[in-house]
Amino acid sequence: MEMYGYAGKILTVDLTTGEGIKKVLDEKLASRYLGGDGFGAYFLNKVVNPKIDAFSPDNAIIVAPGLFVGTFVHTAGKTAFFSKSALNNGWNESVMGGRIGLALKQAGYDALIIKGKANKLSYLLIRDGEVSLKSAEHLKGETTRKTAEEIKKDEGDVVVATIGIAGEKLVRFASVDCDERQAGRGGIGAIMGSKNLKAIAIEGKNDIRVAKPEKLYKLMEEWYEKMITHPSFEADGKYGTGEFLEWMNAERGTFPTRNWNEGVFDERKEIDPYYWAPRYAIKNKACVQCVKPCGKAFVAKDIKLDGVEYETLFALGSNCGVANIEHVARANELCDLYGMDTISTGGVIGFIMDLFENGVVSKEEIGMEIKFGDGEAMLELIEKIAHREGIGDILAEGVKKAAEKIGKNATKYAVHVRGMEPPAYDVRGIKGMALAFMTSPRGACHLRSGAYALELTGKFWKFDGVDRLSSKNKGREIAEMENFMAVYDALGVCKFSRGIFLLNFEEILDAVTGRAYKEDELLIIGERICNLKHIFNIKAGWTKEDCKLPEKIHKPIPKGVSKGSYVSEEEEKEMLEDYFNARGWDKNGIPKKEKLKELGIEDMM
Amino acid sequence: MYVKAIPENCSGCMVCEMVCSLKHWNLINRYKAGIRIEKKSVIEDLPHICTHGNECNFECISACKFDAMKKENGIVYVDYEKCTGCKACEKACPLNAVWIHEKKAYKCDLCKGDPACVKFCSQNALVLEV
Repeated sequence: MEMYGYAGKILTVDLTTGEGIKKVLDEKLASRYLGGDGFGAYFLNKVVNPKIDAFSPDNAIIVAPGLFVGTFVHTAGKTAFFSKSALNNGWNESVMGGRIGLALKQAGYDALIIKGKANKLSYLLIRDGEVSLKSAEHLKGETTRKTAEEIKKDEGDVVVATIGIAGEKLVRFASVDCDERQAGRGGIGAIMGSKNLKAIAIEGKNDIRVAKPEKLYKLMEEWYEKMITHPSFEADGKYGTGEFLEWMNAERGTFPTRNWNEGVFDERKEIDPYYWAPRYAIKNKACVQCVKPCGKAFVAKDIKLDGVEYETLFALGSNCGVANIEHVARANELCDLYGMDTISTGGVIGFIMDLFENGVVSKEEIGMEIKFGDGEAMLELIEKIAHREGIGDILAEGVKKAAEKIGKNATKYAVHVRGMEPPAYDVRGIKGMALAFMTSPRGACHLRSGAYALELTGKFWKFDGVDRLSSKNKGREIAEMENFMAVYDALGVCKFSRGIFLLNFEEILDAVTGRAYKEDELLIIGERICNLKHIFNIKAGWTKEDCKLPEKIHKPIPKGVSKGSYVSEEEEKEMLEDYFNARGWDKNGIPKKEKLKELGIEDMM
Repeated sequence: MYVKAIPENCSGCMVCEMVCSLKHWNLINRYKAGIRIEKKSVIEDLPHICTHGNECNFECISACKFDAMKKENGIVYVDYEKCTGCKACEKACPLNAVWIHEKKAYKCDLCKGDPACVKFCSQNALVLEV
């Protein structure tokens, strides 16, 4: 029977042997996990022993397009990458808006599972649904952009997801690039590098069929109107995701600055898109399938990129004290070309700047002067990190491991949760997000809960009157937001549409798959997915002690409207307990049997 | 009448390809769309679509040996009863706006004057020129 909305098969490739195995997608599995994030949660648990090292050939990379990818549902072109994390050896996932998942689906597959290790640098080609491994020795050290160009020259109309030099060098926050969009976080690029996998190239030409095409068309007409008349359409369209940068500084005082020493970046004038977009952005850039683009084609002298995104304006801007937008944009482009996550890159550079300014490391020790605000030095450091040269070799390990290697009191300056450098929300003044940083299955992350908008504005979905400066009642809030967002990642819908769609997918799902899932059914699927990721982490050795917030979060924000706010160790403990309780987990964060049974995953623990 | 492409506005989202194939064939497949976006570089996205004679001399019609490329009320369309997928039109089109996929030609037919791609192009990269 045809499964509408799906390609209908799962492909497993063993890079060691070069073989591909196709399996029919089980209908029951699809209905329990939807796709994307759900398939990742299920298959990573099934195919990877959580105890192995992330760089072991037995680690797997899973590529899974959301259920709505390729179905014309607006802003639903997202594909997720999964694997053990190069940063913390636990669960990792990273979602991107390139076409790789669309191509995979059109090639006949709803998920691609890559295991093993190629005997030399290679790229995986999927054409006519068949697998071949081809030498990528000639692409060694090439940028993501050049690699994609070269493979397209040789293979024709393929979609390419590729790593740059950083992935080859096992930089622990190396990213994967497709269509100049990145699966940035947690080092999926390094895992590809560890497998000698330079790129994945897919030619997909099959039809994607939906259950009720005419209904879908009509629904999309209605949703299109809602999309383009929503205030975010104009805001994102004009200024991109950094549109609220000024507000985050002036009205909330929660824009992390100079390695989280401050929550307001006084020198922000140029990095504010209201300044740079009219000067440097020549047009909008979108993820595939998106009618509400937030990307910008940024052009300046020798700089060309799709950016600069909000998180990067923080990471390579305020977090390093860099106020010159051309420095920030060039740093962004270098990260994209070398294949490195901008958030973690800015995290480690801000960290070493902080150490230098505080005399923890000297010029002699690290081979250069590196003060906050020095854009040229930041660019030099990006080169060193990507190529693992000098101090760059240490920073390529990520903040946590780098601090351990540097020793002295460096860990005091290391801002991370479970080894992952945090995104642009000073959680000292957004306490629900402090909890979200602790509970995200991949380490400090804003996207698994997406709760920052709720916290910063006080209301979203079923929540109202939320106080960002209070640590009370955050457990249920974050747990429910995580379940909500897991549904988005399973469907492949952009989180920037969450204020428009909410969970009103019943009719759309009926049109796509023929089954009208209601909100409560979707939330159970979301909860199932969240629990499965947590189970993986527990098996990988997770304990609640790992969730600790960085020391800096326990110190008050020094100025701005959130001045004086911080998360105490007591609050940290209370919020985590509250969350475990809301999740139906015991006091140590282990899911109770009843909960697993209720979700139908007792066999996965 | 034709759909005018303005590449300086194109975000590269490819929604036009998806909606074109959905409206014409009740499925999604860019290879069965009458418009294609070429992602030329990080800052260049180029829509390719037939201008129905506005920027060409109907080379596809002249090239077709099977009388499968028709023109009616200013709209050039494929007669699928006759198309053999011989690729003559694809080769002849100076705008790279006709493609052969699985032995059939695909090109813009203007959706009877109300093109879906224009309707769903949020960036005004596709506009209907009357």
